[in-house]
Amino acid sequence: MSDAWFWLLAAGLCASAVSVVRSRDLVRAVLWLALGLLLTAGLYAYLDAPFLAGVQVLTYVGGVATLMVFGVMVTRRHTSASAEASNDSNAVGVLAALGVFALLATAILKTDLPESSAPTQTTAELGRALLDTYLLAFEAVSLLLLAAIVGAVVIARRRDVETRETRGSAALPSIRVGRTEAD
Amino acid sequence: MNVVLTALVTSLAILVGVLTVTAWGIWFERKFSARLQSRLGPTMVGPVGLAQPLADLMKLLQKEDLVPEAADRAVFNLAPQIAALCALGAAAVVPFSAHIVGAKIDLGVLYLLAIGAVTVLPVFMAGWASNNKFALLGGMRALAQSLSYEVPLVLSAMVPVILAGSMDVSKIVEYQAAGSWIAIGPVWLGLPAFVLFLLAMLAESNRIPFDIPEAESELVAGITTEYSGMKFALFYLGEYVHTLVASAVAAALFLGGWDGPFAPGLHWMVLKTLALFTFVYWVRWSLLRFRSDQLMKMCWYWLVPISVALLLGAGAWVVL
Repeated sequence: MSDAWFWLLAAGLCASAVSVVRSRDLVRAVLWLALGLLLTAGLYAYLDAPFLAGVQVLTYVGGVATLMVFGVMVTRRHTSASAEASNDSNAVGVLAALGVFALLATAILKTDLPESSAPTQTTAELGRALLDTYLLAFEAVSLLLLAAIVGAVVIARRRDVETRETRGSAALPSIRVGRTEAD
Repeated sequence: MNVVLTALVTSLAILVGVLTVTAWGIWFERKFSARLQSRLGPTMVGPVGLAQPLADLMKLLQKEDLVPEAADRAVFNLAPQIAALCALGAAAVVPFSAHIVGAKIDLGVLYLLAIGAVTVLPVFMAGWASNNKFALLGGMRALAQSLSYEVPLVLSAMVPVILAGSMDVSKIVEYQAAGSWIAIGPVWLGLPAFVLFLLAMLAESNRIPFDIPEAESELVAGITTEYSGMKFALFYLGEYVHTLVASAVAAALFLGGWDGPFAPGLHWMVLKTLALFTFVYWVRWSLLRFRSDQLMKMCWYWLVPISVALLLGAGAWVVL
């Protein structure tokens, strides 16, 4: 492995990231994002962190990107392929992006990063760290996620009940696929 | 240089092998389904229709390549290629015998699951870019289905991983060769996990009884409605390769892979894979398809809780 790989991946990542923002079509933006996430996984693999790369693909490309796509599908009109992304708040977006970049850059520059220490057993160490050293933090995060899921379900259900009352229809309660077909 | 050359030759051999088996797998399915329905299936091209896949290929190559006027051209054209690529890519880590493996990586199972997760995207891309109601509905159903069945698939695949203590598919097979196959390892644990994996695998590769994304009686041809010629062929190929590779993975994870008496490993691996492959067709041609909401219900009410319980059981088995 040489630096060429890094530059190739980084260039592709930057290009796809710019495309996400510049794309007028919402679905295309999501697809560019999926490519960007995939290339991030490539970076992880390049940095000898295969587990991280695999999980990145599994959760971000397979999960998050798919969920976004799903969201676009069930909320937009289905008859036209153009789901235009609104680019009204460009200035705020640029400011926020610069802020995050500055934050990350200072954090990275201030941290004393080791030159090159590719640990051989990253996966095992990662597992041990998660279930031993950082067990409490790990459990706290999973509890937070669980709370978020329950909250999302509650919000979705409430709206579901409202629409059913106003419409007076006995639509399938929990499956959204069936409902959108009827729309 | 030598390493690169070996990798190239191995991957080429596996690629050709998988594609050949797939081509004649299609012939086999047509024969098999015909027999189940008291028909003869293909008989005209070659002896007992054996040259039918070649004839089909020639036909598909000559077909006009149509792209709908209102389609999103780039995405439309890219989708079938990614679909075929994902299906073939999964074959890389399947150990066909103790020595024939495309890539022996520590995280083989994770790699397989990651590739399986990406497989959803081309389906969506095709459904969306076609700009066709039926394609879009098919894409949406496929998305919902894949997202849901991803969960029991991943969880049930974790059972052999936990029992063998490794994510390397070759190591899992070695573990089974040393002890007993995981499907009958502790039978109360392995067998349900195997059945769950098979079900989720059927759902992921959109086969009957889970082929709602392309239910032809309602959706014409689902996501492939607007595709013709070689692009359709790529989807078709991807689907069959996916089934084949998934059968091979199930054989490796649960049925001992290349482990077996008398014959060399490759024979056993091929035998087990083809047996599962046949099983998939058997199910396909004897069962009806589920309704979309029944499918979701089955996944979330039954498969997910059971797979979580199995995961806990596997953990307990290893610890105790």
